[in-house]
Amino acid sequence: MITIQVFDPAMCCSTGVCGPSVDPALPRFAADLEWLKSKNVKVERFNLAQEVGAFTSNPIVKVTLNAQGTKCLPLILAEGMIVSQGTYPTREVLAAAAAVSYEPGPTIKRVKEQSPELVSISGPTKVNL
Amino acid sequence: MYTGKGGVGKTSIACATAVFLAENGKRVLLVSTDPASNLDEVLQTRLGMRPTLVEKVKGLYAMNVDPEEAARQYRERVVGPYRDLLPESAVKNIEEQLSGACTLEIAAFDEFAKLLGDAHATSDFDHVIFDTAPTGHTLRLLQLPAAWSGFIDSNVGGTSCLGPLAGLQAQRELYEKTMASLSDATTTTIFLVSRPEHSALAEAERTRNELDAIGLKNQKLILNGIFQACATNDSIAIALERRGCEALADMPNGLEGLPRIEVPLVAQSLIGVGALRRLGEGRLDEAKAALQTQAEMNLPPSLAALIPDLIARGKGVIMTMGKGGVGKTTVAAALAMELARSGHRVHLTTTDPAAHVHLALREDIPGLRVSRIDPIAETRAYTAEVMSESGRDLDAKGRALLEEDLRSPCTEEIAVFRAFARCVDEGNQGFVVIDTAPTGHTLLLLDAAEAYHRDVARNLSYIPDSVRRLLPQLRDPNFTRIIIVTLPEATPVHEAARLQDDLNRAAITPYAWVINQSFYATGTRDPLLAKRGALELRYIAEVRDKLARRLALVPWQAESPVGAEGLQQLLEETVTK
Repeated sequence: MITIQVFDPAMCCSTGVCGPSVDPALPRFAADLEWLKSKNVKVERFNLAQEVGAFTSNPIVKVTLNAQGTKCLPLILAEGMIVSQGTYPTREVLAAAAAVSYEPGPTIKRVKEQSPELVSISGPTKVNL
Repeated sequence: MYTGKGGVGKTSIACATAVFLAENGKRVLLVSTDPASNLDEVLQTRLGMRPTLVEKVKGLYAMNVDPEEAARQYRERVVGPYRDLLPESAVKNIEEQLSGACTLEIAAFDEFAKLLGDAHATSDFDHVIFDTAPTGHTLRLLQLPAAWSGFIDSNVGGTSCLGPLAGLQAQRELYEKTMASLSDATTTTIFLVSRPEHSALAEAERTRNELDAIGLKNQKLILNGIFQACATNDSIAIALERRGCEALADMPNGLEGLPRIEVPLVAQSLIGVGALRRLGEGRLDEAKAALQTQAEMNLPPSLAALIPDLIARGKGVIMTMGKGGVGKTTVAAALAMELARSGHRVHLTTTDPAAHVHLALREDIPGLRVSRIDPIAETRAYTAEVMSESGRDLDAKGRALLEEDLRSPCTEEIAVFRAFARCVDEGNQGFVVIDTAPTGHTLLLLDAAEAYHRDVARNLSYIPDSVRRLLPQLRDPNFTRIIIVTLPEATPVHEAARLQDDLNRAAITPYAWVINQSFYATGTRDPLLAKRGALELRYIAEVRDKLARRLALVPWQAESPVGAEGLQQLLEETVTK
């Protein structure tokens, strides 16, 4: 079984609902991790504000964090190797890192009809309508 | 455990009880969980977060559970061991995340649970007396164990949001014991403290219901400030006695059924062990005290004097702040009514969970809209908004995860905060008069503003404009006028001074002070009331000379100040003596 480890910046919770507004990338990523678990991938998630020890006891995380500061977070490891840093990777990247076959899930896209700045989430386009 | 609307005398009665028990050979621990605790002042002993022996009383220990300090200690427990192992930015990141309103609330509750849920913590004492915070805040504190036990039960994932208290699962047993000892009638007695006044009794009844619903059924009622007029020729004294009788005659049925203790109105401030001892022993013999002759004093102007300058800008936010029970709602309603009558569009609203704005303003006044920020409704609306925006295209699992996180205790804080920001922002279009929550909760709100302000700077694209503008608007003296409301007594004035200090630290400068319910300004000749009035003078002078940039004095009202007519009375010129 492959292990994916996620080292989050200090935050209140994994979907970010406790912030002044929700960053749509967070619930999407949380859902992607759930999907990985359903594919028999072992997922571990650590929040800097809550499990500081996990950051200092992992040599790769400790070195990266000390070299780059918090801008390297979120830091995602697969089998102890860095998969991505500073951003929440897509489901496709996660699937490749965990060696499971990719199934399209919710993706982030720009929603034009709302505010030009507003980032929202949209599922895959349904073709069989 | 004492609870009741702010200003009803919880601290005095809790302290008098503690002194009485200790002097009868019991070992007593007195605890305040009020963020604006004044136990130190009342007991004239410097207290901290550990039990401290009270001077002059054998066997009496007291302590303050200060949420700020509890949160700081909590932060240090999390960060301390890693300070040398992590870069500066990571340490900062953690500290910021752990400095919000939820951390304060949770850290304070944690201290509370340690005393209530852990038998060892209090095994040295025969009695532990909690002088709890004002009602709205108390309820939140007391409801947490039930809400959180339920929250942990239904939290299937086990990894999602438990707020900043990461070790909550480990605390579960402690919290369950806390809840059990609260609902055990042989262990815990709840004293509902009230004045013989309609609004205080209504508040006590609400509290009775809510505590009853979470299983705290061993309740008793304390009626503080029972007054009988000495002479029959003083209209103020007769009105005070009549209003007390009327309020008691209308007492809600639920309260009627409780065992009752009555405490008479006294004409001296209950500061220091001597006064507390006499109150406990029923030896305060005030009514016969000689009427003191006082130097004449030029009284500050009435509330009406504030109006012209407030009107001049045509829009903006007016916020009444102060401890619960000092009349913030009434002052806010009177100002809102007067602004509306002068032809402006006015929105009167409150963030106080225990508000009665609607009771203060019984009828419609053209141009005046009245509303309330209801935490439950706001939370529901915010949850729905997040689910529809961020949860719209998540799969079932993702939605379940998001929904689970939204059940966290932080969600309400955020929802209420956003609603508050929206109200403040309305000050760009017209007048918004906000009757804010009691001091402790207000401070949490403003502290949240500061934490959000930092978050906003980091994460600009997702923030509603109203939230982004909030703190700058609160700090702009031309946009927001903060009116501190207090009573002409030692404790309320000193608490209000602390509030002003806190605001100043947040770079917010109060616009004016209002001293409410002055017996001196009524000109009463009743011996007890006149003595109370004379005692007011030094506090009125203290506010005028040391604290307020502008000051208005409102006399105690013979008629209950509700409805347009009642509120109008508040604006009338003060009787000159």
